[in-house]
Amino acid sequence: MTTMTMTGAAVALQGISRVYGRGPAAVRAVDDVTLQFPRGGWTAVMGPSGSGKSTLLHCAAGLERVDSGRVLIGDTDITAAGDSQLTSLRRTRIGFVFQSFNLIGSLTAEQNVALPLRLAGRRPSRAEVRATLDTVGLADRARHKPRELSGGQQQRVAIARAMVTRPEVLFADEPTGALDSRAARTVLDLLRAMADAGQSIVMVTHDPGAAARADSVVFLGDGRVVDQLTGASTRAVADRLATWER
Amino acid sequence: MMGMSRAGLAERWTLFAGALLSVTLGVALVQSSLLLLITAALLDPPAGASAAERMEFADGTAAAVSMLGVVLGGAVFLAGFIISSTFAFTVDQRRRDLALLRLVGGSRGQLRRLLLGEAVTLGALGAMLGVPAGLAVMRLQGWLMREFGFVPQSFAGEWRQWILGVSFGTGILLAVAGVLVAARRASRVRPLEALRETGPAARVMTWSRALIGLIFLGGALALMIVAPFGGPAGGMAMAMNVPIPAAVAVVAFAPLLVPLIARLVPFRAPGGLARANLSDARRRSASVAAPLIVLVALVVGNVGAGASFTTSGIHQLATQTHADLVVESTGPPGPTNPPSPSTGTPSADTPGAASFSDIPGVASVSVETRVPAEVTTGSGEDRETETISLLVIDPVAYAKTHDDSASLAGLNGREVAAGPGGDVPGAGGTVRLTVPDRDLGDLPVVAGVPATMTGGANLLVPPGLLSAAELKDAPTQSFVTLTKDADAAATRASLARFGTVTTLDDRLRADAEAANSTNEKIMLIVLGLGGLYALIGVINSIVIGAATRRREFAEARVTGMTRGQVVRSALLEAYAITVSALILGGVASAATFIAVLSTTKSVTGTGTLDLPWTQIGAVTAIALVVTTATTLITSLSATRPQPVTQLRAA
Repeated sequence: MTTMTMTGAAVALQGISRVYGRGPAAVRAVDDVTLQFPRGGWTAVMGPSGSGKSTLLHCAAGLERVDSGRVLIGDTDITAAGDSQLTSLRRTRIGFVFQSFNLIGSLTAEQNVALPLRLAGRRPSRAEVRATLDTVGLADRARHKPRELSGGQQQRVAIARAMVTRPEVLFADEPTGALDSRAARTVLDLLRAMADAGQSIVMVTHDPGAAARADSVVFLGDGRVVDQLTGASTRAVADRLATWER
Repeated sequence: MMGMSRAGLAERWTLFAGALLSVTLGVALVQSSLLLLITAALLDPPAGASAAERMEFADGTAAAVSMLGVVLGGAVFLAGFIISSTFAFTVDQRRRDLALLRLVGGSRGQLRRLLLGEAVTLGALGAMLGVPAGLAVMRLQGWLMREFGFVPQSFAGEWRQWILGVSFGTGILLAVAGVLVAARRASRVRPLEALRETGPAARVMTWSRALIGLIFLGGALALMIVAPFGGPAGGMAMAMNVPIPAAVAVVAFAPLLVPLIARLVPFRAPGGLARANLSDARRRSASVAAPLIVLVALVVGNVGAGASFTTSGIHQLATQTHADLVVESTGPPGPTNPPSPSTGTPSADTPGAASFSDIPGVASVSVETRVPAEVTTGSGEDRETETISLLVIDPVAYAKTHDDSASLAGLNGREVAAGPGGDVPGAGGTVRLTVPDRDLGDLPVVAGVPATMTGGANLLVPPGLLSAAELKDAPTQSFVTLTKDADAAATRASLARFGTVTTLDDRLRADAEAANSTNEKIMLIVLGLGGLYALIGVINSIVIGAATRRREFAEARVTGMTRGQVVRSALLEAYAITVSALILGGVASAATFIAVLSTTKSVTGTGTLDLPWTQIGAVTAIALVVTTATTLITSLSATRPQPVTQLRAA
């Protein structure tokens, strides 16, 4: 059951915990985290491997249930939302971008982009879909299938697919992790432009360069928030990360 | 959604081609069997046939109808099993695509509708191809039935308009039923779980699968337990039905059993990849093994059961029949009108053994004349008329020649007895008997002999009930026992005047050969095309299993394996799965053999098992050759492009 709670943030996590396993083998991937991702801002989540970054992102996006605490997307509490509510949420209010692109191989770029709208029962016009592809610079690749595109291009199609529904929040899990530096730069430029235009973005990354493009950086260690930086340079982010990785 | 479905069809065509092939062949087999069954059931005797010929014709038709009933049952089971397992496999192989749909906002209902839509499309398309294919299969099945003499030479399956509805219904219904459970399972997967290949998405055994396994295991056990109490006919039918539930039970637990057994199969694989895949891709291994398990269980189980029952029957006949020579003639040998030496055919005006007793060296003779008849039992709605085989006997001589017939000694007048073929009421009952051209009215059944494994006459009647004229053209066997001091050669020469003389041993041997040959023909008709269908199911599952492995193969190659090593690894994996499937099919067959042993022991006193080693060897060889060849072709094809290209494409 969803409830309305006013927080003002794009996403609010209130004391959430997520435990894997039981008894002595139990692992607290996320441990009592309280955090707000601001509306219209780009937040990067960093931390050493196994610090709980991806789990935090999945919990925030409703892909994984929390064991305790509350998760709010805007003013909607999704902590105990049912499958159909989460499905509707994914259709209309949140978008995902993953490291491995996760495009559907049998569909062309424009069909991939149009898919969320069609699943929502809409019949998007070709112009609408092309316009979205144009924002990621791929209007001329609309009829190509994923295998005919480079990694960077595939990731831009994935971003276009996530953005076509004009979501409140875009969740990105290592979006540049599988890309070369040039393709990564293009993707980060795209995300920056989106954030500048008012898009809320929550991004998990291990790359200080990528994190430095965000407005703020949250550091996780052993499932807890251990530090935060705002407007930091790549060097400053790398140094802080090194501190927590020691 | 339909666009997505069409794009999916084009992209993963091998998956869908496999599913389509399974529907086409399944529909063809069911349609052909049903049309032949209906044609046989409505078959009219040839114009101008005598009453006796009409009864013989009805008896033969009833046998053909029951055989085609078994063929139809087998076809429906195989079609249901192969189609549903193929469709479920294609859904399983696309879990990642389905999870992606969920991630971008697809609801459970939309996923289910997508998969059901595909099933309806493929089911209808498969039926469209299956209808003409079914006509070709019908010609082949009809030819086999005629060649083996189970139906008249004029017999040919007839087309019926309504079969279109049945065929399309079969195709669509089986495809939808096959996809239903898999679609429900796939749509319940949480997007993230499927992407990670953890949790329920990767769980190999589900509660519903275990429940289905337990239900069918219970069915197989019930048949095994009850079979020995079902008498010869019931016991045989129950034992020969054990392979189906036993195979389904084994297949249900295959995700647990196949990797377990495959791990024990000795082989050395490059880099341990094949072994790792066996324990990792359990569902895929189980899906590839499933049709092979069913094929082995059906062929080995049924052929073994058929051969064992035949052997047991022959053995029972040999131990229960006491005579030295058998004289075969048309009509009983007549004392007053001995046969002409030139034809050896007696002109029998009176039935009986009197003529034989005049011959030196003959101690006793049981003359048994077989006549077709109809019995009607029950009354009102339960009234039932059946064509049977009636044997005119001399009760005393019969009891001397055949064991367990002492109760017949007093049989006379208008009394009748239940014969070794069963199917008529026992002592105390009444039957209305009709012989060709004559209604004999209601007759009391006063005695009976136990039903035997080989069957035989359903009703035994004393001499005098039928006139000599009614018996003169009927096939007759006279079982002759010689005196201790008889000159066998001279007596045999004298008996030759009445008909063809053979020793009992030779007669039984010839009967055994004929029975085995008939059994093999029945098995070929019942299992031949079904077995071929199951074999195509095996090829299908390997092709579908390989369709989604291109990335895995490419990863192995970029890790340092050569193309040859990857192919060899895939071959060894297929070999281990095939051996496991053969063993598990053997387990399902063994369940059948337990039922065979207990049934033959209960009917004849001796448990008999005659294993068809030639067929077992053939099934093993064919399974290994087919799985090896298919895996070789699919893995060579999957590894043809450069691995880097495939990794990019995936």
